[in-house]
Amino acid sequence: MRSFPLFSSCLTALSTLVSAELNLSQPLLSKQVLPATFKPPQVFKNANLVRTTNLDKSYPRETINVIIENVDSKPQSEYYLPFESGLISRVGGFEVKDKKAPEKGIFKVEVVEYDTESPTEFYLIHLPTPLKPKEQQTISISYSVLSALSPVPAQIEQSSKQYLQYTFSAYTPSAYVTEKQKTKIKFPNSDVPDYTSLPADLNADKKPDPQKQGSTFTYGPYNNIPAGAEELVSVRYEFTKPVTHASLLERDIEVSHWGGNLATEERYWLSNLGASLKNHFSRVEWQKTSYMNPPTSALKALPLPLHPGALNPYFTDDIGNVSTSRFRPGVREAHLELRPRYPVFGGWKYSFRVGWDADLSSYLRRLSTGESYVLKVPFLEGPRMPEGISYARVHVRVVLPEGAMNVKFSTTVPVVDTAITLHKTFMDTLGRTTLSLSAINLVDDFRERELVVTYDYPWTAGFRKPVVITLGMFAVFAVVWVVGSLDMSIGKKKTA
Amino acid sequence: MSSPLLDVWEAAAASPYRPSIGKGSQFTVGFVLLLLSLFLAGIFGLNRSFANLSVLGIPASLAFGFGAVYMICAVGVYV
Repeated sequence: MRSFPLFSSCLTALSTLVSAELNLSQPLLSKQVLPATFKPPQVFKNANLVRTTNLDKSYPRETINVIIENVDSKPQSEYYLPFESGLISRVGGFEVKDKKAPEKGIFKVEVVEYDTESPTEFYLIHLPTPLKPKEQQTISISYSVLSALSPVPAQIEQSSKQYLQYTFSAYTPSAYVTEKQKTKIKFPNSDVPDYTSLPADLNADKKPDPQKQGSTFTYGPYNNIPAGAEELVSVRYEFTKPVTHASLLERDIEVSHWGGNLATEERYWLSNLGASLKNHFSRVEWQKTSYMNPPTSALKALPLPLHPGALNPYFTDDIGNVSTSRFRPGVREAHLELRPRYPVFGGWKYSFRVGWDADLSSYLRRLSTGESYVLKVPFLEGPRMPEGISYARVHVRVVLPEGAMNVKFSTTVPVVDTAITLHKTFMDTLGRTTLSLSAINLVDDFRERELVVTYDYPWTAGFRKPVVITLGMFAVFAVVWVVGSLDMSIGKKKTA
Repeated sequence: MSSPLLDVWEAAAASPYRPSIGKGSQFTVGFVLLLLSLFLAGIFGLNRSFANLSVLGIPASLAFGFGAVYMICAVGVYV
């Protein structure tokens, strides 16, 4: 009997462990789980498909330009793109545009899973206007894959070159028959020591596969590839730059009407996913080479361009203020250069917070209706580096003034979760209205995406803070008067 | 690419939000109001009568209320 509580506590511990794991590993995407019998209807064919994989940055960026043709007898508007379930949770920034009319905007996309047992999930692309039978349309699908590059070898010397490996399918995964396709891979340089060669008879031109042109490799062309076909290939290329990855970014934007200020604070949990050090870190070697500024796999600095008018920046980590930062306010851009306390080598981590102020007048406008305001802020700022940075999770909080109501927002960043809550801080009685937005798998390409928020803020709500303090102070005066007028004397009162 | 809210933003281009007291004068305003409140409280302390509670107490409380808000903004905690 004694073992029962032990068993139950073990079970509780295990269940919390399991739920904690689920929270982290499950993609935070809204899904539509279709019946198990579902299969993408074969109503399209890909007449011509060109995929470009760009490996310039520390994450692969894929662009698929495809001419789709409706082979059904009815107009169709739902185009599916399959991914393996392990991969789909790392796909970020999935956007589809009309290649010939990009100004028409981004198409609506959603993630669908038709069978939980199946290893394949789909992105469902809704074409804004259904494609008529036998008609063609050119669409451009772009996305990035996070945590897809692995360092090979996994351990390197402090000043040696770093090589990354990327494994992908030479046939672009598609839910439809593809008549003609090829895959172009753009490397950051021409140092590509290893790559998979495919037999020449797969190639439509019967040429050696891949074809090499400087730092660009081309797999294909291939003709009449059936739906769902994959042909895995692997490439290994030099990338002696940090593979900077933020497992979490928390970004707070605080609006103060009384102070006329927009305060921004960002908290980063960074890690370098590159090759780790074979030996101990040598400070002497680091210092000797740092003057020459050679390419290194360590993260040395984070240039953070801020909007003009940024003021009072701060940069702190767990220890306290980090003094190795430079701030250059400018007319076009205020440049903040952060240097971590130590060079962040592969497998190392660094977490810090950085914040700054700005005048509210360039971000907030008053609507002609009177007590409504519109706020326009960048959804994501963060470092701008040639090698890029990827964010697994981003939580943005817009802290509006106390008493703000009727909050609406719009952004082109794919947001997975939104909430409006109250945030209590200095001098608050009710708490400030807070808009929380969560996004996953973002990359630095999303830097300049805007977030527009409108809210109503009656003038009576604005006076809440001074009125509360005034009433408190008046209560003190009243208590002083009441206590002061009490007769506390001992003995009988002398009457004249 | 335009969204309805972005159009709202563009439509309001002529009216950027400006607070009644700018960032540069927050400290001065806050300090003067707090000093005024201190003086009024001092005078009230010398003669604590019911009449003075309303004549001095109300202005002193108001000066303290607004002065405190501006002073906390001036020192960098933007409320």
